[in-house]
Amino acid sequence: MENKQIIGLFVHNHPGVLLRVTSLISRRGFNIDSLTVSPAAVEGYSRMTIRISGDDNQVEQFINQMMKIVDVKNVEALPDDNSVASELILVKVKTDGQNNNDILAVTSKYHASLVNLGESSMTFRASGKPGEIDTLVSELREFGIMEMARTGIAALENGDNCLNKDKE
Amino acid sequence: MKLNGSEIIAECLLEQGVDTVFGYPGGAVLNIYDALYKYSDKITHILSAHEQGAAHAADGYARTTGKCGVVIATSGPGATNLITGIATAYMDSVPVVAITGNVTNDLLARDSFQEVDICGISMPVTKHNFIVKDVKDLANVIRKAFRIAMSGRKGPVLIDIPKDVTGALCEYEAVKPEPICNKLISDKADFEAAADIIRSCERPMIYMGGGIVSADAAAELIELAEKLDCPVASSVMGLGGFPQSHRLYIGTIGMHGGYETGKATDNCDLIITAGARFSDRVAGDREKFGKDAKIIQLDIDKAEINKNVKIDYCLLGDLKDTLRGLTEAVDKTERPEWIEQLSQWGKNGQVGETPESEDYAHPYHVIEAVRALTQDSDIIVTDVGQHQMWVSQKYRFEQPRTWCTSGGLGTMGYGLGAAVGSAVAHPEKRVVLFTGDGSFHMNLNELATVCSYDLNIKIIVLNNTVLGMVRQWQKLFYGRRFSQTDPHRKTDFAKLAEAFGVKGMRIHNDSDAEEVLGQAFADNKPVVIDCRISPDENVLPMIPPGKTVDDLITEME
Repeated sequence: MENKQIIGLFVHNHPGVLLRVTSLISRRGFNIDSLTVSPAAVEGYSRMTIRISGDDNQVEQFINQMMKIVDVKNVEALPDDNSVASELILVKVKTDGQNNNDILAVTSKYHASLVNLGESSMTFRASGKPGEIDTLVSELREFGIMEMARTGIAALENGDNCLNKDKE
Repeated sequence: MKLNGSEIIAECLLEQGVDTVFGYPGGAVLNIYDALYKYSDKITHILSAHEQGAAHAADGYARTTGKCGVVIATSGPGATNLITGIATAYMDSVPVVAITGNVTNDLLARDSFQEVDICGISMPVTKHNFIVKDVKDLANVIRKAFRIAMSGRKGPVLIDIPKDVTGALCEYEAVKPEPICNKLISDKADFEAAADIIRSCERPMIYMGGGIVSADAAAELIELAEKLDCPVASSVMGLGGFPQSHRLYIGTIGMHGGYETGKATDNCDLIITAGARFSDRVAGDREKFGKDAKIIQLDIDKAEINKNVKIDYCLLGDLKDTLRGLTEAVDKTERPEWIEQLSQWGKNGQVGETPESEDYAHPYHVIEAVRALTQDSDIIVTDVGQHQMWVSQKYRFEQPRTWCTSGGLGTMGYGLGAAVGSAVAHPEKRVVLFTGDGSFHMNLNELATVCSYDLNIKIIVLNNTVLGMVRQWQKLFYGRRFSQTDPHRKTDFAKLAEAFGVKGMRIHNDSDAEEVLGQAFADNKPVVIDCRISPDENVLPMIPPGKTVDDLITEME
């Protein structure tokens, strides 16, 4: 069954590690819709969060293939029902001088804060679950989105389990 | 002790037990070659005619010895010329360390003369690669590279070293390499569970691959097969991993495998796969492969599990360990009926013999005549195409590491380089290269290397003047439109050999084959035998791509 799965990678922060991961994704034909990289809690390591679309077998292959990259130290699928995932968006919405309140009515539902007011635009910052951000975007499309930037997903498993458990 | 980077490279190679390297000098590796000059009493360098040949030689050296092959090339074109050789080794999991020079650190990323991003280029065809920008990291990177190449599922590793690093001084201290010990992931309970599956089945077969050779697990496989009284089929890569004279051996499996192995695959109720990966040349139809069988897979690479074919149970770890663990857990069994059924299939599905001809020798006849002249321990190398499949079908392999062929990548032009590497590694053995006129034309420049080092290689060019394998597919699937496969080149390979300083001979037809081969094999000198075979000879039987043994082709016009 096709589903979306968030996967965490704990990797050596060596030059080229991002290329190694993305090159593998490309040549093995995996479908991803989000990839973020940031420093991990342990110095010298980075954490990647990747969301892939695929059936269970493809997710298993993805994890097994990633584990073969020498710089990748650990890979785990983050369980949907036991993880926290969040993403940040900056979005610039077109205004016509009449609809500011209508826009604010939408953005307030998502706790989006107004960070800039332009001549004919309003820029908001919001964060939340990837699905919530998706619905915020689709609601704002009705007013016209001039541009937007999303950070991609950051995710951690609930409880005490850590990707970098052997490295502390 | 303070050494320069190049001396550190030489010392680190010695740490790893390397006494032979293959390569080709150039501007960016001048320092390295200066060190090789100094270390020439400890490290033998074999100079190829082209870097691709050196890469294949390191590969052939590794396949036939079990040690890590080493190849050195300069920056830019030297490095890119290695790529086909590295990719060939990668597809067949052969351990090779490739060392390339690069321009100096301050010239990197400026499109300098002979600069290329070889790390970027080689990334998809290496297990790992490094660029060493600081001489302080050099020794440890080399040690790591060998460790990566030789551990787990083996494969090539590339180290790119800017020229200034090879000249810079650094403190060096020798480190003894720790023995490589692959972790056994499966435990006793796993072996018991696998044994339970085996107990519940009546008609098992073993499908073995190159992993058996790579893991040096041939003896362990024989024990399992004998205890289970279980027939064994081999992939092309697995040849030599199980003695073909053994009563349980049933043949190669896949596109040009036997009728017997195809029927066995379709009718068995259990496939035990050891060190093999269900490639499309074996499991043409992934859904129907072993459709009525449970599958147990033994491999060291977890990513091979459920990659191509859905399996029922896996045992992970070094094949030596998993085979031992499984053999211990299973019951001694006898299955006379199943074995008898298989030998019945063996008698059917025989391919018709081609009538004898004045103008041509028959490839099977030549291969069998060669077999009569070789020892079990002699090394057989091939290029890629029809001749490769004929040898895989007809030559009787008895020992591991006696077979060098590009199974995964299918690299035409692989053979001569690999034969050089095999012959350098085994001066005491005879090396036979079977090649085709198409493959041989690609990299015959290495005849210069064969002559320079006076290597005992018997080169048999099965010359049909056409690109036979592709032509066979055009016959079958493209309405006999022979697009660019009928070059009918006039090359006289015997004369060509003489020009390189190698003896040249000719086989005209079946009646002179034995005599010519007898003369050719009488000494320890290299020889090229131009052997005329019919352009219309086909490789049969054949399972068409994507199909099963039910669609087996046994006859063609």
